Amino acid sequence: MKNSTKTMEYSGKRGNGFAKNKRKDKWFYISLMIIPVAQFLIFYVGVNIKSFAYAFQKIDIMSGRTDWTFENFKNIFSKMKTSTLYSDLLSVSLKAYLCSVVVGVPLGLFFSYYISEKMPGAGLFRVLLFLPSIISAATMVTIYMNFIESALPDILKDLFGVQRDGFLENVNSRLPSIIFYNVFISFGTSVLMYSNSMSGIAPEIIEAGKLDGATGFKKFWYIVFPHVYGTLSTFLIIGVAGIFTNQLDLFSFYGGGAPDGVKTFGYYLYANAQQAANEAEYPALSALGLLLTAIAVPLTMLVKYLLEKFGYGEE
Amino acid sequence: MKKTNAKSLSTKNHFSPTTVVMLVVLIVYAAILFGLLLWALLTSFKIQDDFDVNTWKLPTEWYITFPAIFKFSVPVDTDMGTRFVKIPEMFWNSLTYSVGCALVKTTVTCITAYLCTKFDYFFSKIVKNVVIVCMIIPVVGSLPAEIAMARAFGFYNKVYGLWIMQANFLGMYFLIFCSAFAAQPNAYAEAAKIDGANNYSVLFRISLPLVKNVFGTIFLINFITYWNDYQTPLVYLPSYPTAAYGMLKLSTTIDNFYSTTPMIIAGAVVLMVPVLVLFLCFHKRLLGNINIGGIKG
Repeated sequence: MKNSTKTMEYSGKRGNGFAKNKRKDKWFYISLMIIPVAQFLIFYVGVNIKSFAYAFQKIDIMSGRTDWTFENFKNIFSKMKTSTLYSDLLSVSLKAYLCSVVVGVPLGLFFSYYISEKMPGAGLFRVLLFLPSIISAATMVTIYMNFIESALPDILKDLFGVQRDGFLENVNSRLPSIIFYNVFISFGTSVLMYSNSMSGIAPEIIEAGKLDGATGFKKFWYIVFPHVYGTLSTFLIIGVAGIFTNQLDLFSFYGGGAPDGVKTFGYYLYANAQQAANEAEYPALSALGLLLTAIAVPLTMLVKYLLEKFGYGEE
Repeated sequence: MKKTNAKSLSTKNHFSPTTVVMLVVLIVYAAILFGLLLWALLTSFKIQDDFDVNTWKLPTEWYITFPAIFKFSVPVDTDMGTRFVKIPEMFWNSLTYSVGCALVKTTVTCITAYLCTKFDYFFSKIVKNVVIVCMIIPVVGSLPAEIAMARAFGFYNKVYGLWIMQANFLGMYFLIFCSAFAAQPNAYAEAAKIDGANNYSVLFRISLPLVKNVFGTIFLINFITYWNDYQTPLVYLPSYPTAAYGMLKLSTTIDNFYSTTPMIIAGAVVLMVPVLVLFLCFHKRLLGNINIGGIKG
């Protein structure tokens, strides 16, 4: 009797979860939720509020005085007029983003298609594509950098008789070499997610597509692509933020002293924060970060809107 | 029947022009990757004199320089003055940093996702939307404020401080855990509750064991991410250099003995080995079936 009453109680109040409107459930919920929420409030909300406040502050280390000011923003705008620093940072950041979207994303999708189709070597390629993402950037960059600086020019000379400088030493090939490296190592997580998603397509749908003549590229475009569109759009939406946060692993290449012409906004902000002598240097960086956030947020929303409007639905 | 169907479909896949092109591109990719790793291995057995005249062929003479790498040290400033941290200690620092952060981060994400999926409260919806909004809305340049906050809470230069700072539920793994818990039937928990189990028993003895594979995969991915991360320890743990940070210092050192290309590459190989071993042991789990769908809202 007691058991049957309980059964009714649980099934009757199930909804999406199995526990609702019960006092002890609430206490259980609160007891476990309180720490993550407190952490979030301090280290996400609190940090961002502080970052916002920094953007409008001027700190005098000697006197310990903090003044509220728009000077940080004025300095940024005047620097935009007098120097090419920010336009150079923007140019490199955009080039890196476009390369990842135009080259990295399609390649990632096609690689995943190959793997999900279980074509010859699919298992091996799946492991190999993931391998660079498990190796530390400091390690991978060290190997890549030394290879293209010393070994590759010698290989080209010995095998093809082509004389050339190191690829990072040469100003013209420096940025393409760095971007190539970043695209090269970028397939791990995305290929994993895409190929897992592609493997989830019902065999009946593929069979029906085949009967309608959808094979090869047609199969990819009309059956597979719509199925992974949700995952793809997630990566594309999150990726917009990467325009201003992507560091291109420059710190691994150059430490804090990357040459002009390869620096991105992400690298500039990290390197300057890491090398800041004291708190007085933080407000200028926070102001720049705030301005970039103000650009990135509507841009992200626009991309999200366009992907939803002109793309496929969830199914 | 369904299994047979799926198998027969997969074996019917033939090469098309698209897949042939992909095969060629993938072979080139594999060749570049193997080429880089093989070159690194060969170079690590050379000495600089050999490397100067022979940058890419087999070593003229084979030297084993790996033991010397373990004597490389990084100076760190402490309250007691400067002290030198060697590679074994850096590996230990990497281990405490990466295991702690990965465990805390994965656990917090998992439990928060459980609460949001299984308890249909309004607050759960808020948390879910917060995760999605934080994923979508990029916040740029908050590092200075984060450093200041870490100092204010006494977490700066403390390993446990970084564990706490990483104990958040944000990111795509929250959504993956939500999918895993949503797919879990409520019947087990209901039956356990009828038998007198409380919420903690249901969580720790029923729900968590059912998602242990997803938990293990995400823990491993997080562990590798933290193991390879040198930027966070560089900023927040100046007195506890990790192995990845040591590699960065080795690649830019001015010490005559260590600043040769073969020695630097030997250091890279030494650092790579633990992660490669881990990857070879757990690659099936790492490449397991975790999915992320679209972002709605």
